[in-house]
Amino acid sequence: MKNLLACVFLASGSLLGAAEPPTITISKSDKLSLGLGALPAEVASVLQNDLLRSGYFKIVPAASAGAGFVVSATGGAGGLLGKVEDRGGKSVLSKTYSGSGRAQAHEFADEIVETLTGNRGFASTKLAFVATRTGKKEIYTADSDGSNLSQLTQDGSISVGPALSPDGRVLAYTGHKSGYADIYQILLGSGARSRIIKFPGTNSGAAYSPEGNRLAVTLSKDGNPELYVTSAGGGGPRRLTRTPGVESSPTWSPDGEEIIYSYVDKGGPQLYRISASGGSPRALSTGHGYNTEPNWSPDGKKVAFNIREGGGFAVAILDLASSQTRTVGSGQDPVWGADSRHLVFASGGSLILLDAQTGQSTTLLGGLGGISEPTWSR
Amino acid sequence: MRFSLLLHLLPVAALTFGACANKNKSDRPFGGTTDSDSVRGMALNGSPLPERQEGVSFLGNNVDRNRFSPIYFGYDSYTVSPSESGKISQIAESLRGGSGSIILAGFTDERGTPEYNRGLGERRALAVRQAVVEAGGNASRIQTVSFGSELPADTGSGESAWAKNRRTEVGVVR
Repeated sequence: MKNLLACVFLASGSLLGAAEPPTITISKSDKLSLGLGALPAEVASVLQNDLLRSGYFKIVPAASAGAGFVVSATGGAGGLLGKVEDRGGKSVLSKTYSGSGRAQAHEFADEIVETLTGNRGFASTKLAFVATRTGKKEIYTADSDGSNLSQLTQDGSISVGPALSPDGRVLAYTGHKSGYADIYQILLGSGARSRIIKFPGTNSGAAYSPEGNRLAVTLSKDGNPELYVTSAGGGGPRRLTRTPGVESSPTWSPDGEEIIYSYVDKGGPQLYRISASGGSPRALSTGHGYNTEPNWSPDGKKVAFNIREGGGFAVAILDLASSQTRTVGSGQDPVWGADSRHLVFASGGSLILLDAQTGQSTTLLGGLGGISEPTWSR
Repeated sequence: MRFSLLLHLLPVAALTFGACANKNKSDRPFGGTTDSDSVRGMALNGSPLPERQEGVSFLGNNVDRNRFSPIYFGYDSYTVSPSESGKISQIAESLRGGSGSIILAGFTDERGTPEYNRGLGERRALAVRQAVVEAGGNASRIQTVSFGSELPADTGSGESAWAKNRRTEVGVVR
């Protein structure tokens, strides 16, 4: 466990600035105790939920001797001034956050996670998914805690397979508005929408590279569904695979050098790994006969994917170093959060947040006529 | 596992080394009945689809979806069964003379995950395209699209509904 944390510190060192990060060991039963001091009412519950949801903390009374750190904040015209002090009253974090009340709380929560654990937080990230509230499949967006729900598309057709760019500013999806299957792109800031990939055949399953400047996508324009890499705008497709079967659901390594995807020919779909510049694919053995919709963790160590189990689907995690696979819950279409610790997936039409380290799960959103195919910014 | 790995990698190796007309039986990618069938299939599946006719939608009223019977598939399969050959011949016949075109739309049952189903649906449409071309139809007049498990023909659950949903439909452009 200590080794793992050391790696996390190295990987995220730039986030910590010049200050020496506190060394903290996290395990299932070893949460850091935070006391909550004075907080403006409009951020208190959002911040507390974010801190608890991160999985790293338990909240104790601020005056308690067990409080390792005390979190407090004051609101004002200049924004939210957030502070974290250690037991000795020494300041570990003091920063002003602007934006809406919820956004301030989310940013403060993420900086508390980063400062105290060295890991990325996910409170400020965005979710998108498919829901059938209107009777048609449309794309919706929400904050990582399920708030700020908004319907993004009004195609009145079939809009599926959403993929957020890692920075959460752009969303690509597969739309049938033309009657064919095209890749559309929406700039979330302005709402500007364009049809960026419309080759003959089916264009589907786009996934942004970690830097957001490329898409991996399945195209059938050359006569068979194959993997291609294009620019973020859909231009200059370069073919990666040449097989008789079907490649689907590409997902990128954190360095943007490799892609893992699902491949089916005869027999069940299996996971494969290929260089993002092409070459020979390599099979990843999971011990399961059905392996689809893989999602590579931002730390590069794990892949979450769908397996078939008991007449339905379950979410499994493959550890790439050990090649061990474990099943973490019934549901489908898992996506990793920025912390490489939490997964969001669909189960029974609801959106579930799972702490893959503790096994603790929470329902983020339900209803909406059934939710599927989540995507999560990082 | 080893078998599926071979099926996956061999065609890659074959093309990498320029052996496009590889007659090695283990390299037969489409489960055709003879080696020559599979070699033809391989070449065809490397053949690009024709340009789309924008404005023509499989879901719109400029496409007749009832002229031909759907072609049905087995569970998780994109192999066109010999029992479907009569339907294939009729479609191919319609694409020999005249100037019309068709859109082949692939669908799956509900027992797969969404993106897997979209890929499988497209492969089913392309498998029918291949069969129609082998039966004499003109490839330049065939478009494809996948709807995955959307728009089921039978909204029920159970094998009788699923069997109706694992299909490629033929849309004749009016």
